[in-house]
Amino acid sequence: MAEGELIANESGEKKEENSTNALLENGIEEEPSFSDPEDFVDDIKDEELVPELLRKKPKEYEGFDTFIVVDHIPQVGSDRFPKLKTVMNKLFSKFGRIVNDYYAMDENGNTKGYMFIEYETPEQALEAVKVTDGNRLDKQHILAVNLFNDIEKYANVPEQWDPPKPQPYEDKGNLRYWLLDPDCYDQYSVLYDGGEMTAVFLNSNPQPTLIKERKLWTETVVLWSPLGTYLATFHKRGIALWAGEEFTQFNRFAHEGVSLIDFSPCEKYLVTFSPQLAATDDPQAIIVWDVRTAVKRRSFHADHEHIVWPIFKWSIDDKYFAKVSQDTLSIYETPSMMLLDKKSMKIPGIRNFSWSPSQNLMAYWVAEDKDVPARVTLIEIPSRKELRAKNLFSVADCRMHWQKAGDYLCVKVDRYTKAKKEKNESKYSGLYYNFEIFHMREKQIPVDSIEIKEGIVAFSWEPVGSKFAIIHGDGPQLYSVSFYGIKQGATVSLLKKFENKQCNHLFWSPAGQHIVLAGLRNMNNSLEFVDTSDFTITATTEHFMATDVEWDPTGRYVVTGVSFWAHKGDNAYWVWSFQGRLIRKHALDNFCQLLWRPRPPSLLSEEKLKEIKKNLKKYSSEFDIKDRMVLSKVSKDILERRKRMMNEFRNYHEKRTDHLKAQKTAFLELRYGDKNQDENEADNIEEETVEFFVKQEEIVIDEEE
Amino acid sequence: MRPIVLHGHERPITKIRYNKDGDLLFSASKDNIPNVWYSINGERLGTFDGHSGAIWSIDCNWDSTKVVTGGADNSLRLWDLQTGKEIANIVTNSPVRTVTFSYSGKLVFYTTDSVMKFPSELIVFDTTIGEHLTGNDHVARFPSGAQKPTAALWGELDRSLITGHVNGQITKWDLRKPHDKLNVVEEHKKQINDMQYNVDQTMFITASMDNTAKLFDANSLELLKVYKTERPVNSAAISPIRDHVVLGGGQEAMQVTTTSAREGKFEARFFHLVFEEEFARVKGHFGPINSVAFHPDGKSYSSGGEDGLVRIQTFDPPYYEFKFEY
Repeated sequence: MAEGELIANESGEKKEENSTNALLENGIEEEPSFSDPEDFVDDIKDEELVPELLRKKPKEYEGFDTFIVVDHIPQVGSDRFPKLKTVMNKLFSKFGRIVNDYYAMDENGNTKGYMFIEYETPEQALEAVKVTDGNRLDKQHILAVNLFNDIEKYANVPEQWDPPKPQPYEDKGNLRYWLLDPDCYDQYSVLYDGGEMTAVFLNSNPQPTLIKERKLWTETVVLWSPLGTYLATFHKRGIALWAGEEFTQFNRFAHEGVSLIDFSPCEKYLVTFSPQLAATDDPQAIIVWDVRTAVKRRSFHADHEHIVWPIFKWSIDDKYFAKVSQDTLSIYETPSMMLLDKKSMKIPGIRNFSWSPSQNLMAYWVAEDKDVPARVTLIEIPSRKELRAKNLFSVADCRMHWQKAGDYLCVKVDRYTKAKKEKNESKYSGLYYNFEIFHMREKQIPVDSIEIKEGIVAFSWEPVGSKFAIIHGDGPQLYSVSFYGIKQGATVSLLKKFENKQCNHLFWSPAGQHIVLAGLRNMNNSLEFVDTSDFTITATTEHFMATDVEWDPTGRYVVTGVSFWAHKGDNAYWVWSFQGRLIRKHALDNFCQLLWRPRPPSLLSEEKLKEIKKNLKKYSSEFDIKDRMVLSKVSKDILERRKRMMNEFRNYHEKRTDHLKAQKTAFLELRYGDKNQDENEADNIEEETVEFFVKQEEIVIDEEE
Repeated sequence: MRPIVLHGHERPITKIRYNKDGDLLFSASKDNIPNVWYSINGERLGTFDGHSGAIWSIDCNWDSTKVVTGGADNSLRLWDLQTGKEIANIVTNSPVRTVTFSYSGKLVFYTTDSVMKFPSELIVFDTTIGEHLTGNDHVARFPSGAQKPTAALWGELDRSLITGHVNGQITKWDLRKPHDKLNVVEEHKKQINDMQYNVDQTMFITASMDNTAKLFDANSLELLKVYKTERPVNSAAISPIRDHVVLGGGQEAMQVTTTSAREGKFEARFFHLVFEEEFARVKGHFGPINSVAFHPDGKSYSSGGEDGLVRIQTFDPPYYEFKFEY
């Protein structure tokens, strides 16, 4: 702009000179010429000159944000056109009033297979795209619905497609190396120093071995993948997975503001959720990734800001994942990431569902509605065949718990005697509890039921076997713990009931049989180790202020921890044997979290496992010898270390004593002045005898004697 | 042996100290009257009356003739031990935090807190000079800097001063050139509550709020050993006859009311001096231990607690039989 003015001025001056000359010569005032001289080249672009005006210049695509383009609609002749119009109108008027529509036609009056629709507001258009894109109109027609504005975006896709170059194979090493540990020691991750330090330890005997330690490895927490292959760390910009012997970075998943993640059971997929993006209704709020390639497979909107995590539940073989929303159950298929059979299931009143941990079938429950009872249904996927359904009455809530082998499903039903409606929220009173046990492996899936009148604090299946434990009672400090068992083909029976226990959490050993009853947080921090084969209490102990209990994946050790997140001070984790013998205490500054590295399921057949159990004595003696050797080596190590420390200290101290001796006179001078009294110090000491009354004894003497 | 429990104070004990011979035990407390006891039977020999505030520190010179006390009433007082009479009363600008007799017994080194406009100071005076006893003259007087000292010792041959500070720093000062710090080490993360010498004064042990006690070389301030606990350590002492240290502490006094004795961990804890391993605990106090001291003969030790009690614990034969294998 300034430059332009400058040029204009210069030329103006010139003209003025010319004009004065003309005036002088002719005496007549000549009209000045305002046109540019012939050799003048305009070197200023309009954008520089008037950017504020150009910005207002209408663009091609503007004002079209209420328009959508619907593609892949049936191509029909004029005879069937009205019918098509009715169908489309019905479908698209759900999102708002249709202001205008236009069907592209050829010269014969046949529709070309696409149309435009105008809504009143951009929001309606957006909603229409979100809901109808990819919907199946009929067998042949899957709608492709886009915002008109997006057309430009798609138009810019380069015409030519370059096939991606094959990437060189990168050897990531043996990702399961830790399973090859000759002593079968397990690993665990520890987060401490208030979350600044992350370390991975090997739970070796008698002292754990540090494998890797990094500062600021994660910004919040760490998480192991379900089979233990990867360690996930959380960062503001996304998730990183670490694997291999050196914990090198395996893959990165960029997802701004990610806070929650979930692995599929076979570790093929990773679901990440960013509340930050969900708040702005970003379509990338939830992303499903391929773990091995780090490729984004599909992204989803988050329906609500506060979602229940995991929003997607995976079937055991990673084949399907599903989520529940208002009256719908959406099951997606892998690897296509599309809806199973291209549509969600409409199930009015569906509240929750749960996959079986062994087969591709799921259980869901539907809440009560006026005269319709609540209902628990088992369906098979992908056939959606209903295997079993059970109606339930007076239901406030349901919780589904699968036994780990998938042999039984226990549905905990909260039932009420009175219900009140208050501001659209139901208030229930006089609650009592039913446990409905579905025998999955038996014909027709028979259902057993037990009823407990008291409040339920905790419920837990034995991971291996067919027992379950319930903490119940009306507290606030003393509860009962009941153990139930199921025999093949028989009903549920009470095996044992412990009364007046101070506990609120149940922790089964992953190997079954052993259980820890713990009173965590605001309870008394007691820990009870119970062997459920004969219900003996093997140990009653406590870990003061304990907040967490974690079994190792083999059921050999239990770790109790006081996390910095819950309690400031006393932060430490203690390692116990499965019978409750304290093995070691490990105090760490501001210890936060301990997680065992999971193990994949054993590859041994069931017969082989049984055989090993039978011959356990034979094996255990081998290990006993090994343990003893390790211990004797350790005590030797400790002794050597002490010896070394002692020698170092003695050397140091000798040097100091020599130094002191050299200064002895100086020291004595300080106290006795110049005359050195060292030699005759002993003579000068005055002996003083002071008698002390140290002890008093009263002896009663019998007067008669 | 059963401990001798001294019921002489009405408020928490702040500091206990033995004299050089070990026959006397001095105790200072938040009540205003320091006491002196026969350590052999716990009989009270007398009191030093005069202070009008909590006593933070007390010390006795090597020949057991004079006692010095300092406290929150902005005064430092020198007493005749035999008569219990006040020899001098030096008025200070702010509370006196630490007092220590020099090796010679002639000089006294004390430190003051920083209060309002008065900075915290390190002051050394001579007990044999009359003018010094009025508080008007000093051997040396200089500010400690931003971090006030919370524990203090004399350096080798009374030529230097060692202070432990509220931020965990340890500073060594040259008495002749006090403005040049000889050495500063930052091994502790939080306030140093106590510093005590070993028997030949070549090493000292610190007790800190950062849940550790540490052993330092008295000359180089080199860190030698670390003793870890789960609670703030208020005081630590080194046995004169064995390679043992005793640590006293527990949950901070201000939090004690909200917790049980079990949680507070108010035991005196014994560690091996060299191996840094804990081998014994002594229960007894029902509040944190504020001060511990070994008897100079090493056969007993005493602890003074927030509960206002001083407990003299004499070791039983198993203590002498116990040996670390190495």
